[in-house]
Amino acid sequence: MSEDPAVGDILDLLSDEYARDILAATSVKPMSAKQLADQCEMSQPTVYRRVEWLQEYGLIEEQTQIETGGNDYSVFAATLSEFSLALADGDFETEIERTEPPAFPGQDEQDTADRFTKMWENL
Amino acid sequence: MVAIETLMNWLITALAFGSTVLGGYVGYQAYRGYRRHNSRAMQYLSVGLFCLTAVAFVVAFVGSVFLRQGLLPSQFQQPLTLVTRAFQFVGVLFIAYSLHYRE
Repeated sequence: MSEDPAVGDILDLLSDEYARDILAATSVKPMSAKQLADQCEMSQPTVYRRVEWLQEYGLIEEQTQIETGGNDYSVFAATLSEFSLALADGDFETEIERTEPPAFPGQDEQDTADRFTKMWENL
Repeated sequence: MVAIETLMNWLITALAFGSTVLGGYVGYQAYRGYRRHNSRAMQYLSVGLFCLTAVAFVVAFVGSVFLRQGLLPSQFQQPLTLVTRAFQFVGVLFIAYSLHYRE
């Protein structure tokens, strides 16, 4: 687990509506900057600014979408799964939980046949 | 010496049987993957695995038993090997095809 940023910094980031929209969208499935711009109704420069900000705190990660034909492009996936704020003994304590990216496609499937299918189809 | 030979023969049969059972299990999971996701790639994979393991072994095993019992004339030895190898070839062919099959 990486070191958590200061309370104020993380609250600043999460108070930004654009940043939250991007997190929400990319927690469903990885999306490119263009897809994010369309879905969240913001300009691409806004998307890039927020994504950079989110990356700074490790709440989103960049992945490369491999395309047959060589036109690979970047997609972004939320890594934030839980953010909590606690107040005790005169201190605010934040805790950020991040999702572990799966080591191989279908890793989280419970059923062997589902896991096998995803692995095989993604070879 | 005879005892060792018998043991070896048992071991060969046991390993071939084990490969068939395990190959059949993997093939069955591939078949379930095909049914659950309607995935053609998994369909080819399961057919390939069954041909490569279960079918090839059963043909070779049953054939060799028949040959030994004299139910098949001994000149069928070579064609039998050919059929077994053909099933194995078709099996890996299906698996290779399933690797490259894209919807």
